[in-house]
Amino acid sequence: MTFELNRKLAAKRPALRTSANVDPVTANIIRGALETVCFEAATHLGRAASSAIINQSNERNASIIDSHGRLASGSIGTPHLTFVSQLTVRYGLECLEEFDWGPGDVFLGNDPDFGGGHLPDYNVYAPVFDDKGELVLIQALQAHQGDTGGKDPGGFTLEATDIFTEGLAIPCLKLIHRGERRRDVIRLVERNNRFPSFHGDLAAMIGGVQMAVKRLEDLLRKWGGDVAKAAINYNIDHSEKRLREEVAKWRDGVYEADVFIDHDTQGTKDVKVHVACTIKGDQLTVDLTGTDDRPELVGVWNTFGNSRSYIMSQIAAAIDPTIIKNEGLFNAVELIIPENTIAQPPPNKPAALGSFHPACEITEAVCLALSNVVPERSAPQVYKIGMPNAVIGFDKDGQMWLDQGVDARSMDASAVQGIDGWGSCPNALGNLLLSEVEDAESRFPVINISREMTINTGGAGQWRGQPGSLNVKKVLEPTTAMAWMVSAAHPIRGLCGGEDGSPYANHFEVGTPKEYKVGLSAHARLPAGAVIAYQHGGGAGFGPAILRDPQAVKEDVLDEKVSIAAAREKYGVVLTGSVEEYDLEVDVAATDALRKQLRAAKVGRGAHS
Amino acid sequence: VNYRIGIDIGGTFTDFALLKGRQVVLHKNLSTPEDRSIGVMQGLQKLAAMEGQHITDLLGQCDAIVHGTTVADNTLIEMNGALTGLITTEGFRDEIEYRRGYKEDIWDLRLTPPKEITPRRRRLTVPERILFDGSVYEALDEEAVRACCARLKKQKVESVAISFLFSFVNPKHEKRAAEIVAEEMPDIDVSCSHEVLPRAPEYDRTSTTVVNAYIAPRVTSYLERLVDRLKSAGYRKQLMVMQASGGVMTKEYIEGSPVRLLASGPAGGVIGSAHFGVMKGYSDLLCVDMGGTSYDVSLVRNGQAPAEVSWNMHHRYQVGIPMVKVETLGAGGGSICHVNNGVLEVGPQSAGATPGPICYGRGGKLPTVTDALLKLGILSANSEFAGGSFSLCMAGVEEAFQELAYQLGYTAEEAAFDCWRVVNANMSQAVRRTTAGKGVDPKDLVMLAYGGNGPAFAAIQAEDLGIAKVLVPKASPTFSALGTLVANPSIDEERSCISPADSPNLERLRSLWGELDDRAEKYFADANFPRDKIIAKYQMNMRYRGQNWALTFDMRTSKGRGDLSFVDDSFGHRAIELFNRRHMEEYGHVREGETPEIVGLRLATTVETPSPDVAKGFSAPLRHAKATKTRQANLGRGYKETAVFRGTDLRPGHEVTGPAIIEEAFTTIVIYPDWKARVDDAGDYELTKVNEG
Repeated sequence: MTFELNRKLAAKRPALRTSANVDPVTANIIRGALETVCFEAATHLGRAASSAIINQSNERNASIIDSHGRLASGSIGTPHLTFVSQLTVRYGLECLEEFDWGPGDVFLGNDPDFGGGHLPDYNVYAPVFDDKGELVLIQALQAHQGDTGGKDPGGFTLEATDIFTEGLAIPCLKLIHRGERRRDVIRLVERNNRFPSFHGDLAAMIGGVQMAVKRLEDLLRKWGGDVAKAAINYNIDHSEKRLREEVAKWRDGVYEADVFIDHDTQGTKDVKVHVACTIKGDQLTVDLTGTDDRPELVGVWNTFGNSRSYIMSQIAAAIDPTIIKNEGLFNAVELIIPENTIAQPPPNKPAALGSFHPACEITEAVCLALSNVVPERSAPQVYKIGMPNAVIGFDKDGQMWLDQGVDARSMDASAVQGIDGWGSCPNALGNLLLSEVEDAESRFPVINISREMTINTGGAGQWRGQPGSLNVKKVLEPTTAMAWMVSAAHPIRGLCGGEDGSPYANHFEVGTPKEYKVGLSAHARLPAGAVIAYQHGGGAGFGPAILRDPQAVKEDVLDEKVSIAAAREKYGVVLTGSVEEYDLEVDVAATDALRKQLRAAKVGRGAHS
Repeated sequence: VNYRIGIDIGGTFTDFALLKGRQVVLHKNLSTPEDRSIGVMQGLQKLAAMEGQHITDLLGQCDAIVHGTTVADNTLIEMNGALTGLITTEGFRDEIEYRRGYKEDIWDLRLTPPKEITPRRRRLTVPERILFDGSVYEALDEEAVRACCARLKKQKVESVAISFLFSFVNPKHEKRAAEIVAEEMPDIDVSCSHEVLPRAPEYDRTSTTVVNAYIAPRVTSYLERLVDRLKSAGYRKQLMVMQASGGVMTKEYIEGSPVRLLASGPAGGVIGSAHFGVMKGYSDLLCVDMGGTSYDVSLVRNGQAPAEVSWNMHHRYQVGIPMVKVETLGAGGGSICHVNNGVLEVGPQSAGATPGPICYGRGGKLPTVTDALLKLGILSANSEFAGGSFSLCMAGVEEAFQELAYQLGYTAEEAAFDCWRVVNANMSQAVRRTTAGKGVDPKDLVMLAYGGNGPAFAAIQAEDLGIAKVLVPKASPTFSALGTLVANPSIDEERSCISPADSPNLERLRSLWGELDDRAEKYFADANFPRDKIIAKYQMNMRYRGQNWALTFDMRTSKGRGDLSFVDDSFGHRAIELFNRRHMEEYGHVREGETPEIVGLRLATTVETPSPDVAKGFSAPLRHAKATKTRQANLGRGYKETAVFRGTDLRPGHEVTGPAIIEEAFTTIVIYPDWKARVDDAGDYELTKVNEG
């Protein structure tokens, strides 16, 4: 657990040794088969698990790593998880002899200082050997667990100053030895979790991995290990080549961006992420030098594995979506993540909240920098929410319940060149399913009062950000509510002249004399009947608002996403008629005149046009 | 002997299966997209002519016409449904736009949103609130409903969906709002969520209701037009329509909830497969239907293909009705072969019927799977195609594959062969995605292949998946039409009723089942099915607290008048036991010491109607068939002189050993090396792997 280890884990890996040659079609068929195995493993987990975050919200990922620790194939899930799984496995491979790897073994890892993301992301993986007894592949399955056995249920502790506060850290632990369950070890892992359903979830992860290993063994037998290795080499090289071809089309230069988090969990302000993306020919270098390294910061430390992954998530969004996501992406890009910064913390730092912030600001900064060269594929693949409002109480039997607040809502759905922000979140999160009122209210003593979008909260732009939503909830019994607020001072950034999204704001005990705005964080006791209201930030705009098609602005006004006044002030569009009568028309002459005036005023202020 | 006619309308062809006794007559003609009922009537004319009758006489002797139609799907594909408005609970105007966060492609930032059926201006809200237990938290503001109507009228809305929170527990507010809408907007369609999909959660229910409202006017007018045409042509019985659940029902029933027609086309094929498989002695089947544009995969287990409810984005809109599960891949005869950044890809784009594959000679310029089959010698330029309606031509095919080959750096033959390999691999992976969701190993299944192109690939895919036996029905090209004749009239409806399973509200269970019973009886009576023929399954929907999806299982099956005496004091106890058994079967574990909850109940009613009889077995003496000719063909092992048989020459008992090609009127069956085909007593083909192991 040193920076040296991180360097070792992140080092580029050579191709697999093979005497076979493979044609592109066979390589592609083998790629498809590997992806299907990942799909099968993830599906098995989704069916068999009993915890909601896995079987309802789909927060699970499967990937296949080769014997050199390279990402050979990734599957469904979220990009941010797909791109972190290989480092945990690489650490396991470091212990190959020491831990006596063999056929039928299954391992578990989650330690942020040994390649992991944050503690809740359990990574269960198992080696696959060919008929000659040679290790060829490792099947990995990741899932977010509802608890990690630390100070607070759920694994997120606002004031944590070290990883041990957050729970049990596992570098590499053998759960199954040559097909035999290690009962003592499994019981220890199960004991360090508050949820009784965890044992079923762990069993489901092991079962999914074992099923996939069997399938991969069959496939290796069918193709031969050498051909499979040649195919993996080909596919990784092909993705690297294609990414480099994309980069070569981008304009050479150094593109920098700064993004700030309002504060850490203890109130230290303006935590900074700095990125410089350098493009030279077909080489892209992403350098986080200049990112905050104040040792006194609390809660905003992102693990090394996550930083790599969150950078790559935005790069993957910026390229042709048909490029296969594998190690080739990492081979094509130089990543510089300075030690002792919040993007590569010293050992033993807490990691849970860092996976939200600064992880997302790293992604956002890469997006801002790349928007200079690839605007048509630039929209930040992030969530700027800090933490959803979690509400915790006890039922009449004394059992704890937790409404995690991952409710249907709209936030951070930014525009991209040519397309307005839409739906409820950026694409990268589009595999998760948000919670609904009729499920939540049947379980928890809460009433959801509203979840509607708020007018004028979508960042103005030639293409408009989707408005954010105001989620209002009433608790029917005394409860505890936890919150961490960011993105009020620094909301999501607009691109290429588009305006920022609207700020987040969170109010507790709304409508009472005690009403207050949560500034930094809250760990509050709410009385029965208390109302909490979370205004989510709208998505950012893209391009100057006064270039937006006036007809599109008119449609926005009819849809009550933009007011008549904002149409005039933000977009320079003058409308006649009324929303109520559905007879709005653009006053073309007045609009032209107003836009001319706005443009002149902008030039007068010295702003760049 | 009276007739029964199954009709299935597809994108390109309308398929007919006429059944008289055991005899099946097949026909196909082009669909007529401008008014699909015209194509139906043309085909019926043709069938009458084939029977030497006037259409009036044919239809007069017809016991049943059963119809599968894509009219609902086409409305969603072409997006030309009714101008639709939504009235929903205040505070929840935007659920339908959020889609629970779902996006179809997590990597493609240029993915555009689906066209909104109800953009925000036509989504209006009213103060009202019912809680999870059905209690009224806030009364319905009736004036607000009237104000909504005024705003929707101003926008010239033609169809209105109403969806309030927890209406499936207590529909009082929705019912009252529907009355008000009917008063204020007398001529428009109204769809209420508690009727269309009475279950949680709100996004799924609201979306299904909105889709229903959107397609209702078109479906209704189409069905009414068809019924009129059939009636004036002499048909005297009720038109039965295929539903996505795999059952059929009358037009009057469908009109109450036309969303039930979505995805009903493939369902007919699956229901037909289940019946066919069971008659042949196989009850676990992998059904593959490869047509011109798509490859549909489904499973039959224990002789059944039950409808399922799940997260189901249908043409990008959430539709929560029970559907027979079919996975669709963009791989068919018309799928286009192309090189993308050095990688050979097949589909999902399709050349369709126009311009179609190059070898159709209708102006197609891009190489397709059908062209690859022609290049490989699997199809022939000299034989009749699609029942003799035209011949394939080689002109342009060679050049197209040379162009592909140039990009890939080898020969045209190799390019065509690789297209065949790639489409095969895509299809095998689609199969695995389907079986994975069910925890099934394809090795344990028998494959049933149909559709115009299914039999050309069946055996090689079977080999890839470890399957040792493939069935190809003689009727495979119009198998879905035949399937509609197998499907039974059925009504499958649910009601919500939430309570812990150890203390159920027996009174409410009885009253809800009674209500569903009455509804079913009414519609069956309208269709002339007597009460004592109705088979009723009383089912429960239950789950552990915290689970999103309920499992459905039978509490009781009975025939005749609904006897609810089984809803007694031990009901809860038995329900828990049956639920745990079902949970173990589905997920492999039960949660010890946890009490599951009742989410709702269902009543699945059906009437068994006669199904086409299918003979099985091989009583005819084994004999070797004689090839009519040979040609150069590459069946996976290079070009070889390959025997070609005419399907019409083959009789029960005939055996054909691979490599060989059997040409049928509407399809081509390929017997790959190491496979053999035998014709059974019914004239259907059974393909088996030779030298297993």
